[in-house]
Amino acid sequence: MPFHQFEIFPVCGSMITDSVPLPIEYLQPECHGTIVEMCGQPCQMQRLAELGIRQGCKVRMVCQGEPCLICIEGRRISLRLGDSADIFVIPAAG
Amino acid sequence: MPPDTTSKDARVVALIGNPNTGKSSLFNALCGMNARVGNYPGVTVEQKVGRLSGTAEIIDVIDLPGTYSLAARSADEAVAVNVLSGEIPQQAKPEVAIVILDAANVERNLYLFSQIYELGLPVIVVMNMWDRVTSEGLTVNAELLSQRLGVPVVCTSANKRKGIDELKKTIEKTLRSPSATPQSEQFARAMFPSVFHDEVKQLTEWLESQGRKPSTYQVDRLLIDSDGHFQKLICQSGLPDIATKIDEARLRLQTAGCKVPMFETKARYAWVRKLIDGAVVRQESRSASPSDRIDRWLTHRWVGMLFFVFVMFIVFQSITLFAKFPMDGIQWLQAQASSGVEAVLDPGALRSLIVDGVIGGVGGVIVFLPQIAILFLFIAILEDCGYMARAAFVMDKLMTTVGLSGKSFLPLMSSFACAVPGIMATRTIESRKDRMVTLLIAPLMSCSARLPVYVLMVSAFVPDTKYAGGWITLQGMVLMFMQSLGAMVAIPVAWLLKKFFFPGEPATFLMELHSYKWPSPVVIYQRVWERLVSFVVRAGTLIFCTSILVWAAVYFPGDHMSLDAAVAQLEERQSEVSEMIAKQPPAPRGSEPATEDPSIANMQSKIDEAQELVNQQRSKLIEGSFLGMVGHRIEPLVKPLGWDWKIGVAVVASFPAREVIIATLGTIYSLGSDQDENSQGLQHQMQIAEWPNDGKPVFSLATALSIMVFFALCAQCSATLMTIRRETNSWRWPIFSFVYMTTLAYIGAWLTYQCFRFWS
Repeated sequence: MPFHQFEIFPVCGSMITDSVPLPIEYLQPECHGTIVEMCGQPCQMQRLAELGIRQGCKVRMVCQGEPCLICIEGRRISLRLGDSADIFVIPAAG
Repeated sequence: MPPDTTSKDARVVALIGNPNTGKSSLFNALCGMNARVGNYPGVTVEQKVGRLSGTAEIIDVIDLPGTYSLAARSADEAVAVNVLSGEIPQQAKPEVAIVILDAANVERNLYLFSQIYELGLPVIVVMNMWDRVTSEGLTVNAELLSQRLGVPVVCTSANKRKGIDELKKTIEKTLRSPSATPQSEQFARAMFPSVFHDEVKQLTEWLESQGRKPSTYQVDRLLIDSDGHFQKLICQSGLPDIATKIDEARLRLQTAGCKVPMFETKARYAWVRKLIDGAVVRQESRSASPSDRIDRWLTHRWVGMLFFVFVMFIVFQSITLFAKFPMDGIQWLQAQASSGVEAVLDPGALRSLIVDGVIGGVGGVIVFLPQIAILFLFIAILEDCGYMARAAFVMDKLMTTVGLSGKSFLPLMSSFACAVPGIMATRTIESRKDRMVTLLIAPLMSCSARLPVYVLMVSAFVPDTKYAGGWITLQGMVLMFMQSLGAMVAIPVAWLLKKFFFPGEPATFLMELHSYKWPSPVVIYQRVWERLVSFVVRAGTLIFCTSILVWAAVYFPGDHMSLDAAVAQLEERQSEVSEMIAKQPPAPRGSEPATEDPSIANMQSKIDEAQELVNQQRSKLIEGSFLGMVGHRIEPLVKPLGWDWKIGVAVVASFPAREVIIATLGTIYSLGSDQDENSQGLQHQMQIAEWPNDGKPVFSLATALSIMVFFALCAQCSATLMTIRRETNSWRWPIFSFVYMTTLAYIGAWLTYQCFRFWS
């Protein structure tokens, strides 16, 4: 997982200088982002996709933490993936 | 009455959709019958069948559990797949699949549609919650979607009963015209690459050579779903090489650039995107909705938790504050019924059976109907407005500390109403280990059958102290503590079970939280009514039978001739006194009535003598009865808990169903004490009960708390144990539950009594 090599800070869109993918749980409340990579156990990936969480989707963080509450296409989904999967997002600028 | 399973002469259609697409509301609107409707995933865990109302033909509707996909992983999702594939024995395969989509979330919902379409069944698409399309700033062209899909599309708002007649007509029309059958084979071919179909063909041929005849759809799922439902089934059926064959096929697919299972989701979403292009337009919203703003507080780690505790506090305070008046009314009716029977029948076995067995037993349980109604009212409101799913979210953090996930919270919360649906709701938990732990701790949650026991003990033995101007009561707080005790004990029990029996990391937590909405009065009414009817039916059947048996065990084998004679003499004297009082001239206005008539006073003392004789006779008879004999045998076992033999036998009799204790105590005390018109029912009888040797009261605060703790922790429900047996397919787990809970209950009750006996 190459993204783990980055040092991660809690980030909101306005702080982004470049397209640095972040684990979804680091997205600050009310910040938007786009899912750029998902990795983990195949069945977990399939389940996420069935719920509408897939690469290219725009997300908004409603409540940060573990579990976190995200909003995808108007639907709120609570999420705690643990070690079974990782979702990386690029926060939107502005 | 609607059928439990579909009838032979009926046409069968099935309702299927993602969780919370309003499927159960649509089912109610179509069939006009009750079904549970919730705002969290997986509330419909049982298959429900109803009959379509207002149609020429007999059409049965199967309400399938909500699922996001036909790639079944949980037992709940497997039910949906099995029904649609016609694999449920004695259940006709549905002729039409009605796929319900959330009109405001078409894209994700069409994913499931694409899987159902491949099954080869005629399909009707229902765009439910149509009213939300405009309120959420969407544009959906249903006609264009219908053309592209090649199936009828009907727009409905089931909770407002809109579009229901059109849907009924469409169902009838689709059943009449078999030409509506889709070209599912071509659809599937176009969806996936040819390399996948070659592998499916190869695997099908191999399975056929092994004497199996799987459908193309089953082989598709065998290849796609890693460790899925069909793979588990076929591996268990004794084909040793199947796992290797599947792995080899998946490896070849991966080499060809078709990575299992993600190629499926990619292909289906690509199809969906193409399909809705120009037909569904969503306006990008960057601002938080009202639900988001509420969620920021209610799903907050600490605020959310405090709010949950506050909500529970309000619920239990309300039960004590608002149930008193209707409860007094029911008690008054019970007393009137007893007096009515006593006025008509002479003392004897029949009168004793009706007054002591039926009215004293069943009536004692019915008295608690108001409390149960208030509890269910709150649960229904919290479920319907969408708060329960938030509570699960908040609780996930806490649940992970004992190795479970927030998904376990919903079945556990259901168990506060009744453990049976709670245990069945564990089917929605995908992880087997989490499911087993949840299932084993669910009976510890304080179900509605425990509530009458707590209310009886709390109102009789906990001081009626009030705080904050009467809005907070000590009785309410004790009640809340007792209702929470099982849940508190469940925490270490879950930890131990997870540590020693089902080790592993907590399962991931993925759950959709729907927007808050005002609870629907119709839905609330339906749910509360359904629960109350089931409580009354239970009181009228199981508790009625047990009451009769307990009455017989207390009444026989004694000779009641002398008691009946003593009762007849007592009643004769009582009626004489009443007549004497009636014949007295009325006292002049403004003066005190002449109460001290010597002849009346003389008669009153004779009544007291007769009453004493009756009491002696009753005590003698009850001591020598079958129940008395058993009670004395078990007394050494229950005495350390502060109980006399009467409480002991009442607890033993309540092992099939815990609310039986009220009926049993009602019968024992009704038969064994001086119940006159001034008696205040069972509560009063218990307050005046004394130990025969030293005359001290049997019931103290310590005894009442010890009984409540025993009931909070004990597995006194045959229906729950049978449900655990059914869900685990083994006798091992119900026996395990019974043993661990009964041991916990005995130790808990003993500790409570020993701590409080010096206090009170």
